Amino acid sequence: MKNILQKRGVISLLGSLISILAGFLLGFVLLLVINPSHALSGFENMLLNGARDLSKFGKVLYTAAPLLMTGLSVGFAFKTGLFNIGATGQYTVGAFFALTAAIQFQMPWYVCILAAMIGGAIWGAIPGFFKAYFNVNEVIAAIMFNWIGLFSVNLALNNMPMMLANAWKQPVKDRTGSLGLANPDAILPKLGLDEVLGSYMNIGIFIAILFAIVAWIILSKTTFGYELKACGYNRNASLYAGINDKRNIVLSMAISGAFAGIGGAIYYLSGTAQFTIVKTLVNMGFNGIPVALLASSNPIGIIFSALFVSYIQVGGETLQPEYAKEIIDIIIAAIIYLSAFALLVQNGIARLFNRSRDAVSVRKEGK
Amino acid sequence: MSEYVIEMLGITKIFPGIRANDDVTLLLKKGEIHALLGENGAGKSTLMSVLFGMYQPEAGVIKKDGKPVKINDPNDATALGIGMVHQHFKLVEVFSVLDNIILGAEDTHLGFLKRDAARKKVLELSEKYGMRVDPDALIEDISVGMQQRVEILKMLYRDNEILILDEPTAVLTPQEIDELMEIMRSFAAEGKSILFITHKLNEIMAVADRCTVLRKGRCVGTVDVASTTKEELSRMMVGREVNFSVEKAPARIGDTVLKVEGVTVPSRTHKKNAVSDVSFEVHAGEIVCLAGIEGNGQTEFVAALTGLEKMSGGKITLNGKDISHASIRERSIDGMSHIPEDRHKHGLVLDYTLEENMVLQRYWEPEFQRHGFIRRDKVRAYAQRLIKQYDVRSGEGPQTITRSMSGGNQQKAIVARELDKESNLLVAVQPTRGLDVGAIEYIHKQIVRERDAGKAVLLVSLELDEVMNLSDRILVMYEGRITGEFDPKKATVQELGLYMAGAKRQDGRTGK
Amino acid sequence: MKKLLSALLVLAIMVMGAAALAEGDGYELALVTDVGNIDDQSFNQSSYEGMVAYAEANGLTYAYYRPSEDSTDARVESMRAAIENGAKVVVCPGYLFEDSVYLVQDEYPEVNFLLLDGEPHSADYSEYKTAANTHCILYREEQAGFFAGYAAVKEGYTELGFVGGMAVPAVIRFGYGFVQGADVAAQELGIDVNVKYWYADSFSPSDDIKTKAASWYTEGTQVIFSCGGGICTSIIAAAEEGGGKVIGVDSDQYYLSDVVITSAMKDLPNSVQLSLGALYDNGGVWPEDYAGATQTLGAAENCVGLPTADHSWRFENYTIDEYNELYARVQSGEIEISNSTDAMPETVNVTVDDQT
Repeated sequence: MKNILQKRGVISLLGSLISILAGFLLGFVLLLVINPSHALSGFENMLLNGARDLSKFGKVLYTAAPLLMTGLSVGFAFKTGLFNIGATGQYTVGAFFALTAAIQFQMPWYVCILAAMIGGAIWGAIPGFFKAYFNVNEVIAAIMFNWIGLFSVNLALNNMPMMLANAWKQPVKDRTGSLGLANPDAILPKLGLDEVLGSYMNIGIFIAILFAIVAWIILSKTTFGYELKACGYNRNASLYAGINDKRNIVLSMAISGAFAGIGGAIYYLSGTAQFTIVKTLVNMGFNGIPVALLASSNPIGIIFSALFVSYIQVGGETLQPEYAKEIIDIIIAAIIYLSAFALLVQNGIARLFNRSRDAVSVRKEGK
Repeated sequence: MSEYVIEMLGITKIFPGIRANDDVTLLLKKGEIHALLGENGAGKSTLMSVLFGMYQPEAGVIKKDGKPVKINDPNDATALGIGMVHQHFKLVEVFSVLDNIILGAEDTHLGFLKRDAARKKVLELSEKYGMRVDPDALIEDISVGMQQRVEILKMLYRDNEILILDEPTAVLTPQEIDELMEIMRSFAAEGKSILFITHKLNEIMAVADRCTVLRKGRCVGTVDVASTTKEELSRMMVGREVNFSVEKAPARIGDTVLKVEGVTVPSRTHKKNAVSDVSFEVHAGEIVCLAGIEGNGQTEFVAALTGLEKMSGGKITLNGKDISHASIRERSIDGMSHIPEDRHKHGLVLDYTLEENMVLQRYWEPEFQRHGFIRRDKVRAYAQRLIKQYDVRSGEGPQTITRSMSGGNQQKAIVARELDKESNLLVAVQPTRGLDVGAIEYIHKQIVRERDAGKAVLLVSLELDEVMNLSDRILVMYEGRITGEFDPKKATVQELGLYMAGAKRQDGRTGK
Repeated sequence: MKKLLSALLVLAIMVMGAAALAEGDGYELALVTDVGNIDDQSFNQSSYEGMVAYAEANGLTYAYYRPSEDSTDARVESMRAAIENGAKVVVCPGYLFEDSVYLVQDEYPEVNFLLLDGEPHSADYSEYKTAANTHCILYREEQAGFFAGYAAVKEGYTELGFVGGMAVPAVIRFGYGFVQGADVAAQELGIDVNVKYWYADSFSPSDDIKTKAASWYTEGTQVIFSCGGGICTSIIAAAEEGGGKVIGVDSDQYYLSDVVITSAMKDLPNSVQLSLGALYDNGGVWPEDYAGATQTLGAAENCVGLPTADHSWRFENYTIDEYNELYARVQSGEIEISNSTDAMPETVNVTVDDQT
């Protein structure tokens, strides 16, 4: 038993579970404080709703897919020593590229995803370029590119009459055309899954998981990933090793951006939501940060953390109407916040068990 | 009242996969200089970190003045009058000397710092012990030796009575080492007790009263320095006889491997050139040593030679090929190996595993990758071979995170990697910095073996012993220029010292 | 460890106490917001106010739900959640619900839907269908616009402007009504009035709109009827800088700025209460003339008009008495206002400068 607890992987998993548990506990306390009479049933709903029926589970998968991609975007950059806070902008630009391909050029869904990949990659590569060649902090550049991306997309859409909903029968101009009317071929295939898992369901989650596996392979199996991580951990040492660190920073940000861009495509190509012209940054990109942190940036872990975050978000919706949407957001945020303490808890566990380890097993390992 | 100010009794500290301290006992008398001797990874730093409250031991008792105490964190240690200077200084680079000294022990009046009182105290202390510092200089602007003084002043400022110095001489020049020893003696004379981690036997013989020797986490014994010898101490430390002088056959000089002509490198910090018009040759089968006091352009010259930095003039030829503007990787392929000066900055990716670091420059070679995928099994087998061949010790073998390894073993890993690489020029910058005698002996032997195998070796070292022992030819560098060339058999340490200090220079070596 | 245990114990006690308090009977009246919240100072808020007023007056339980995203699927999901929570009536404010109600109305024939400002249709607009359990409310925007235009001219303004969000029927009716009201007042006073007329093609604020409004104020326009959601922000900003006035739309927008002299209102709270009243008076199902039908509410039902509260009535020359008298004439049908959206109404004393 104790030997199992020494293993790094086990400790890391245990740490995540304990923090998630602590997060739920805090969430429950908040529920109690805000509206005691519904705390218990609300908590139960929140925990079970995502699994209660298949259509809710379908929604969990639907929300998880773009979240997974932005989590991957942030996590991939983290692994290579970069903080990509620009996932939001890349997500927006990716969505724009995807929708332009879908509506303006009437392309099928896979071409749209490819377009989103390119759009996101360009939007990620620019801050990467400034970081590599002019040593401009990528955080600052990426934040600015979030806004530049948002308003550029708004400006472009306002000048592309064919893109807007009023070109496709709907009497509104503040959003892009509904794909169901504008180009049903661009909607991600549902493969009949929607009949089992509800109308939200499409293959988006599978695409996202596929990219998570691709990210994992790049990072842990290839020379390219080896170079990227080396630059991230120690730029001087990678320079010493003859690695082209500048090129790698740009590439890393481009890949990171491509992931976020695909996230935007998956969300808007579901045919459910229409891209609305608003002046606020979408949350999906920022939500990628806790998703990545929760999984310590491990691409495979991000699959699960995205599902987890999505699960409690879908679960949280059932707290209505007893709790207002804003309150629910606070509770969800609290849960995610505590869950992200996984690393801290891991260290605690490691300490606890190292201290009480029995000497015999230690001596054996020491030799 | 106990005879001892500090008693560490039966201390055991365990890290995953390694028993860093195993039932270690250390007794510190008031007013003594007590050396703690051991090889890299013997557990010296761990033991001191336990005393300073950074680690909690699994077993054992610490007593202060005969009373058991519990030291949970460095604050507890400070409260007990225990201060520590770490091997890697804990200073805020962008703060002034004064601010660093008072940081964490600030006296305030109505929430405002009482800087003037603090400044007075600091100046008094530095006057008293002859440690001159400029209280307003920024840490990032002062030398490593100065930074160490700041660390020591920090302890004095806190009125610490027990001073722990973790390898204080590793970063100092010979002159600075002498000064430090003088300072240590004056502390002891005042009744302060000093615990002094080192693996340099000369220093122990020169300054310590008693010495406790650790080997592989266990206490070998405590001896009175007056009644022992260097040989005895090294036997206790390594567990076998150690040969101090390097045995080597006469050099069999071959063709020119490296030719440096008029190399000039601009400085990053001031307008003058860091390296001006340096020319020399290194031949196959010889060890040429670039000697000098730290900060005289050696670092910049090596950076230009290895491609880390661009030079503003001159030409470098390796094996007859002009590599003046070649990339780092091209130089590596052309046959250059480089043991870098700073193993943490350049030599290793500390968060990578040992095996990943072993192929840092070679991961792209067909041996270690196929179609862009790393061949883990090959990398592991290669790392295992190097680990075995060069005796690199670590908790989890090839999969150890490099950060968790001791400094000496990290250095050994770099040396293993660089020597094993196919090359005919080895640029070794302070290859034995911070290593124990056993490891130094081993690395010296390896370097000589490389020379005998026909490699050209350019050694850059601050340690005069090393320079005299190892080299076939010595070049002294002063203020970015080569000021003298010597045959180690004919030159004396004193003479070299004069050249290194800039008091003398050979004609025709002065440049323009 | 002890502390943790005692904390858990306290928690457990609280849980048991809470469980005892729990009630499980659901909410009879439900409102699903379109995408924003119930404090959006627009459709969601005024509908919610109407529902709350009716529920509290009649001792009914009520709740509101906010969809997880701006999509038909999410709105449908929230409507289902409301129904699962016991809703017998679901109030759906705004045209965004048109496809949602279309999908849900047949699924839950025993639940009543009240759709404001829209009529259910399929997502591709191929089929319009209002089921028997659904009642739709549209408004006579032209009457609200008429009152506003009339009041502005009576107050003494002769240079008017109209900025519409987009040329959709509801906005066009507001605009044409505004022109007709101004013309009637101008004829009564025997003066000439100019109206500048423009659609911004957007329901969001933008610098374009502000620039347009600012240039109008510079050219002498005294008051602009800002007709379309968010564009009022831009127009009010231009008015504050250019010393002009603004007429609000939909709800009483007096609080937005002092330059808002009045608002062409649709009285959503009142219409929601009227419809809910009809439903409950009929035993919880829509009466025959409501079921599957669309009702167009106007002055006759007291569901359009100008705000007459003291703080909202910012006219100096035009009086509430005059307004009430005009209102009565519209109610009685003495004044007829065209609801046609085909072409700009014929005018006598008003010259329309259509800049679209």
